[in-house]
Amino acid sequence: MSMKRSRFLFACLAGLAACTTAGQPGILCAQAKVSFNRDIRPILASKCFVCHGHDEEDREADLRLDVRDEAIAGGALAPGRPDESEFVHRIFSDDEYEIMPPPHAENPLDESQKDLLKRWITEGASYDRHWAFVPPKAPAVPSAAKINRARNPIDNFVFRNLEKNHLRPAPEADRYTLVRRVYLDLIGLPPTIAEADAFASSTDPRAYENLVDDLLNSPRYGERWAQPWLDLARYSDTNGYEKDRPRSIWPYRDWVIRALNDDMPYDRFSIEQLAGDMLPEASSDQRIATGFHRNTMLNEEGGIDPLEYRFLAVVDRVATTSIVWMGLTMDCAQCHTHKYDPITHTDYYRFMALLNNADEPDLTVPDFEKTKARQRIETKIRELEQSLASKFPAPAGDGTEAQRRADHLERELAKWIASTKSASARWSVIRPAEIKTNLPRLEVLDDGSIFSSGDITKRDMFELTFDLEPGELPITALRLEALPDDRLPARGPGRTYYEGRKGDFFVSEISAIADGVNIEFAGSSHSHSDADTNVNRTVFDDDGSTGWQPGNRKGQRLQLVINLRQPIEQAQKLKIRILFERHYAASLGRFRFSVTSRENAVANSLPVEIETILASGDGKGWSETEREQVTRQFLLTTPLLADARQEIDELRKTLPVTTQTLVMQERPADHSRPTFLHHRGEFLSPRGQVSPSIPEMFADETNKDSLPADRLQLARWLVSDANPLVARVAVNRAWREFFGAGLVQTTGDFGVQSPPPSHPDLLDWLAVEFMKNGWSMKQLHRLIVTSATYRQRSAATPQLVELDPQNRLLARGPRFRVSGEMVRDIMLKSTGLLSDKMFGPGVRPPQPASVTALSYGSTAWHPSVGEDRYRRSLYTFRKRTAAFAAYTVFDAPSGENCVVRRNRSNTPLQALTVLNDEMYLEMARALAQKTIEQRFNTTPDSAKFIFRSCVTRPPEDSELNALVNYFRAQKSRLEQGELDVTLIGGDEQASHELAAWSMVARVVMNLDETITKQ
Amino acid sequence: MDKKLLRLKTRRHFFHDCGVGVGKIALASLLAGGMGTLPASRNSGVVQDPTTPQSPHFAPSAKRVIYLFMAGAPSQLDLFDYKPKLEELEGQPIPPSVIAGQRYAFIQPDAAILGPRFKFAKHGQCGAELSERLPHLAKVVDEIAIVRSCKTDLFNHAPAQLLFNTGFQLPGRPSMGSWLSYGLGSEANDLPSFVVLKSGDSLSGGAAMWSSGFLPGSHQGVPFRSSGDPILHVANPKGYDDRAQRDSIDLIRSLNQQRWGVVADPEIETRISAYEMAFRMQSRAPELMDLGSETKQTLDLYGAEPGDDQKLFANNCLLARRLAERGVRFIQIYHAGWDHHTQVEAGLNKQCEATDQACAALITDLQQRGLLDDTLVVWGGEFGRTPMVEASAALGRSLGRDHHPQAFTMWFAGGGIKKGITIGKTDELGFHIVERPIHVHDIQATILHCMGLDHNRLSVNFRGLNVKLTGVEEHHVIEELLDS
Repeated sequence: MSMKRSRFLFACLAGLAACTTAGQPGILCAQAKVSFNRDIRPILASKCFVCHGHDEEDREADLRLDVRDEAIAGGALAPGRPDESEFVHRIFSDDEYEIMPPPHAENPLDESQKDLLKRWITEGASYDRHWAFVPPKAPAVPSAAKINRARNPIDNFVFRNLEKNHLRPAPEADRYTLVRRVYLDLIGLPPTIAEADAFASSTDPRAYENLVDDLLNSPRYGERWAQPWLDLARYSDTNGYEKDRPRSIWPYRDWVIRALNDDMPYDRFSIEQLAGDMLPEASSDQRIATGFHRNTMLNEEGGIDPLEYRFLAVVDRVATTSIVWMGLTMDCAQCHTHKYDPITHTDYYRFMALLNNADEPDLTVPDFEKTKARQRIETKIRELEQSLASKFPAPAGDGTEAQRRADHLERELAKWIASTKSASARWSVIRPAEIKTNLPRLEVLDDGSIFSSGDITKRDMFELTFDLEPGELPITALRLEALPDDRLPARGPGRTYYEGRKGDFFVSEISAIADGVNIEFAGSSHSHSDADTNVNRTVFDDDGSTGWQPGNRKGQRLQLVINLRQPIEQAQKLKIRILFERHYAASLGRFRFSVTSRENAVANSLPVEIETILASGDGKGWSETEREQVTRQFLLTTPLLADARQEIDELRKTLPVTTQTLVMQERPADHSRPTFLHHRGEFLSPRGQVSPSIPEMFADETNKDSLPADRLQLARWLVSDANPLVARVAVNRAWREFFGAGLVQTTGDFGVQSPPPSHPDLLDWLAVEFMKNGWSMKQLHRLIVTSATYRQRSAATPQLVELDPQNRLLARGPRFRVSGEMVRDIMLKSTGLLSDKMFGPGVRPPQPASVTALSYGSTAWHPSVGEDRYRRSLYTFRKRTAAFAAYTVFDAPSGENCVVRRNRSNTPLQALTVLNDEMYLEMARALAQKTIEQRFNTTPDSAKFIFRSCVTRPPEDSELNALVNYFRAQKSRLEQGELDVTLIGGDEQASHELAAWSMVARVVMNLDETITKQ
Repeated sequence: MDKKLLRLKTRRHFFHDCGVGVGKIALASLLAGGMGTLPASRNSGVVQDPTTPQSPHFAPSAKRVIYLFMAGAPSQLDLFDYKPKLEELEGQPIPPSVIAGQRYAFIQPDAAILGPRFKFAKHGQCGAELSERLPHLAKVVDEIAIVRSCKTDLFNHAPAQLLFNTGFQLPGRPSMGSWLSYGLGSEANDLPSFVVLKSGDSLSGGAAMWSSGFLPGSHQGVPFRSSGDPILHVANPKGYDDRAQRDSIDLIRSLNQQRWGVVADPEIETRISAYEMAFRMQSRAPELMDLGSETKQTLDLYGAEPGDDQKLFANNCLLARRLAERGVRFIQIYHAGWDHHTQVEAGLNKQCEATDQACAALITDLQQRGLLDDTLVVWGGEFGRTPMVEASAALGRSLGRDHHPQAFTMWFAGGGIKKGITIGKTDELGFHIVERPIHVHDIQATILHCMGLDHNRLSVNFRGLNVKLTGVEEHHVIEELLDS
């Protein structure tokens, strides 16, 4: 670059810098006509709109500057006549009482901004709609006259802009750099030496394009691209907050990998994640996809208000949805109307209403293999149960063994029937005619039982009114059955889903009123007498802190019997109230009431059907089926067969555990959840109810009657061309993955405050192209990596780095440090340890115990063994409050927020990690071992192998010499016993060679180049 | 020229010239400051990087903070805020007019009143009333300022602890120490600017309490382990002596430098410096952690016992002083174990036994060494405890106290804090504040103020909002707490 040219460039870029504060990087040419969107709006947005924007509540002097007519009517603007514009007067004023923005705002305009604003008014003060709110149209592809290296239209846009800036693109990167770059970008792993050499030596003119296609088809592609998506989804394997207990939602993570590998179009990809449950005949996969919004945190701390944290989870869903699909910071409008973007406080809660009408159940993931295994075991169990009678002990005596056995069984059965019969009562199920609750929805099922759904609280109250039949009188006792159900957490019978055991319940108090008269209770009993608390009287002692609970009998039928002091002889209406009061929500999920006339009825551990049979006669009147049922019950419980049943008990333990995953389930029409506007965003300050809709800025005459009214309609709208933002936001995020910065730098904010795109036409062209190609993410990625822009050398001259430090102009290729997960993946691949096993529950690579020891409950971190230790970092178990340290240190997020843009810090703690973490030392030793196994003839060849395994390109002679010298020096120290070969080699048998090569490998793993994509 | 000023000037210079000499600036920062000042990657944007450090806003009264966070929430009614009326009314239900509309974690609001569990007496020149469970603090009470009218918005541990440490009830925001590191950089060039020490039970708020949130990871609090490596991976790998480590880092530097010659990426220079600083941290850590080098007199003052985990809190207080001497900006000591839902008396006996002496010793020791004047010491939990008793058969609880966000007590010392004063007052039941309510955000504003930062100006644009430690509502520095 000549001196003269360089000076010119410098002047230009200094201009760029000045404009940058006005928000227009990448656009030079100070003489061009002022553009409202590019030059003016960012200034107004950051300096003026807070007080003179569209928020009525905070508007000062009744003046708004965001609408041209009002600004003119308000006397601020006189288009074309700056001297008559109060606006100009105010911004140039020296008077502390006149000047705008006022001094107390501490947000002054600089001189260049003032000049721009003045020029804008001189030129007519024209306004434009914010560019991002206007649907993208494909712009004409420009031609770059002087640069003829374009490979696809991306280059035309970029090179044209370079020309304007008197720059030229960098030459194409050398083959080794290029192959490593495209491997890292498309599959997140470096190439092997052989793969790199094959590409470098290929003479096929389409070698690069073919390589790109191969990489896009690799299963590793989905693993690589799942990572940034999971950052957006705030994916984690734990619940967050204080206790941060594990959750099972990895099937969602696997869904993302599969969808990306299948190149599921982005519109479908989005709809299934936002509203897969609402699609017609939704498949399991489509329901699993709704885990996207189940990645919100769950507070399990004792004593919290569950409704408050549910509200906060929906707040998170609103923020995440708007960032991911609209690039808008809608969360700003939670407390008040957005200060900059046209989103009102009401818009916010109407949008929330779209997302706020779902229940949040667990879904059992269908698994063909597991189902088959389960059926096999269950069949075996049934066979064994049927053979129990034949195993009944036969006492010594006369007759055949079979005869003696049968007689013995007969005798024991009769004894058992006699004893249990006396404790059995005839119960009639009563069905409520009327139901009231504080909040949950109760529904009466066919068997008279009651099923609870909807939201629950720490203090639930059910009031059931029964119309009594004369045949049910007199009533001497009430029976409450707690029943399991597949739809409940851990099958119930309770609805506890946080803090306590899943499926727990806690009946604090029960009271009964017959025809308006309070019924006195005499005592109570329950079915699981060995439970930890004495239940007698606790449900009617006026103390909410005592009561009836299931202990550890989740998923079982339980019963509680309450005896009345005086029988109800005649009454028409019986009202029963149940109070559930606990420091966590613990009301019943499915239950049933029955009554009896029997004196001193007690709770029975027998199934209700058996008790009914036993209470109904002396056995002679029983049907064959009834007798069989009774006999079977006896065989399954008698201590005489305890040994024989052991095999059954063991088999039961081998039943495969089903996999659960968290999903969304839209509520039934008769139980929609109301959404309210919350004053100042506070949970405790609900105001008027709002109806679901999208922000009004997206409504116009043509669509005002067809705006989204539920979650599925929202999802479809978000990925339709009615949403001007979605495609731009998606391609911009992809661009950032490749180039390190988005065309719009604020990847998560396309609102009026955002800096304009560096290449607005390119952004729109890519967005339109993306939609035109059926929202194919693979095609988008192919387009980008096959551009000449992408294929440029990233090395730059110090001058260029100084002139354009962020590479906004793209006069060179990208160069930046990879993510923490990719750092580890690169090392695993380079050292040959990487396992390519896909999918399944999170695994635990080794890290010091002290990392998780700091978390709540000092959770232990047991490192995985076998190949799970070396799985791709994507599969590492993600614990929110104790994230894997080797990723966190490189700015990996903790899964607590939607992250569109990771930081890329560069710190000493990163150095300590790669230098000293035993995980990386183990890898260094593996690479040393692998090197020795190659049996190279010379030391330089071995050193070269290590170098190339990590950074792909062949080393320069000086680099190779430095490595070889280091190797020799360390080997000599090892041989002389100055260094401990066993410790460094990690093994009693370690040779000096191995130890010394592992030291070399460690050095190479620590090079900037190893952890950098360039 | 003062190193810090040099650095600030350099930055200003940099911004004016916009984009010139990035690498040199990075290096200048490294030389002038500590690890907290490492710049973010060029690729993530220099000119518009929202995380670029800012300068102090005015002359600070404190150079560093030692924050003694008593996680779980100590009972102010049994330690600081004496209420004879509670004694009188013990066993009676609290009047409904007092408790209307309040939410509780475990108890029902109509629970009975529980009297103070300990005797109180006046101490020092200032005559502050303290519980008999704080005999050591009583001896230095003329050095501290007591605030009896603190309040918070939250009544569960994790959210309330997060609010105190990060200004927001949900995880994900930068913590106070990160804000300070970001706002002021570091004085130490071989230690992190923000260190976290912990003793006692589990911490509800977890790692989110020392997270740097959306600020660069370099501002994150670094937990020091009490045993093993104080900082993760700070020891050489097994078998490597210092020379091997030095040789390795030299080779890494030399190869990185060669590469820099080819690609001219200033990020490589930053990495070279990071490796140098890592090496210095490695060299410095063993000496730092060696409490055995302290005199017996000092150890006895704290009740410290090197290597004894039973004395962890005392050891941490002593270590905090050593970190303060070495220029660490924010030292956060967590001691968890104050969540006395049952048997508040026995619980306080245990925790005061573990902490009272060392807290007082820290004040005395800092003072003796001339460090108290520019070291701000803060003591407090995330909320207070109820005047009502907590008892529950199901949970096996009796004679405890539930969470009470409406009023609680904290104390402050050193670094610009007025000595021997008491601020604020609660009603005769200790339930509501009747004089000078002080919100969590006011406390944060005050801490920033002592460090020379205006809480309204220390902000970063995140998701379209200018996020501040002290939130969006208006909050104020507690002026009457400040000396001068």
